[in-house]
Amino acid sequence: MSEVTFFLLPWLAWLVGIGSFLLLILFIGHLLLALILIIPTWKICARAGYSGAWSLLHLVPFVGSFIVMAILAFGDWPNGEAGEGSR
Amino acid sequence: MGTEIAALFGLAGLTSAFAIVAFMLFAWMAWRIVAKAGLPGWTGLGAVLLTLTAVGTIVPLILLWVFAFMRWPRDEAPVAALAGGRPVPVAPPALAAPPKALPDKRGWRLAGKLADGTALQLGFDDSASTWLLTGAPAAKPAELTIADASVSQPHARLMVAGTRIGLADLGSANGTFIDGARLLPEHGARDITAIRTIRLGTVELALSRNA
Repeated sequence: MSEVTFFLLPWLAWLVGIGSFLLLILFIGHLLLALILIIPTWKICARAGYSGAWSLLHLVPFVGSFIVMAILAFGDWPNGEAGEGSR
Repeated sequence: MGTEIAALFGLAGLTSAFAIVAFMLFAWMAWRIVAKAGLPGWTGLGAVLLTLTAVGTIVPLILLWVFAFMRWPRDEAPVAALAGGRPVPVAPPALAAPPKALPDKRGWRLAGKLADGTALQLGFDDSASTWLLTGAPAAKPAELTIADASVSQPHARLMVAGTRIGLADLGSANGTFIDGARLLPEHGARDITAIRTIRLGTVELALSRNA
């Protein structure tokens, strides 16, 4: 057999292919989910008086959403907040 | 085998603890954020709590979009909220600007007596920016003649800038004096708007404004 194969076991190529595909799907899925979160968060940040770009933290897995929420929850909104009484 | 099971349970327990802490933090922050927008805090808390129910994640996600684009009570009465709920007195309408003062078009007058006793009166205004004081007969409109032997030809220069008068000595032989103080050529121009008299040689001239 003169054909040179990269993989020692031919079926392993399928595994790598499927794995790569799954990773790509995971990546695109993450981007889509982040986008669904980024759009309203951008709006909220802008209305609060922060730069909307803070919402891009949603792209950071796991902790990004926490950070942007913490900024909104514990920072003083430059555009003003509702009165203390309702909090 | 028992160790592995214990480790697995431990990991699960740790993960659950993390999840619970994260969830509580999320709920607290959601409470604070909606409260800052002027909504009751429990609405944010409730939205996060909904993820625990059968409706899953999609409803809180929809609520996030609604929250982002809805009308916030904060924006309705921002002034009242800033003042702690008390009504803020409305500022009275601004008064109209006072009429602009008319430019002072009055000229100036230098009055005095020559050595031979003849009265001298020189008038000037802002029609020219510089006036030459000289002992020679006036050759140009902006020249003022002081026919006295002690006055050089030329003697000094008057400068008019708006409502201010400047005086500079041009290297005169007998000197220029402002209220008795010698003005040398190297002094350049001095503001004489507020002074009473200048002296060119022996001729003393009182500075005044035309009526």
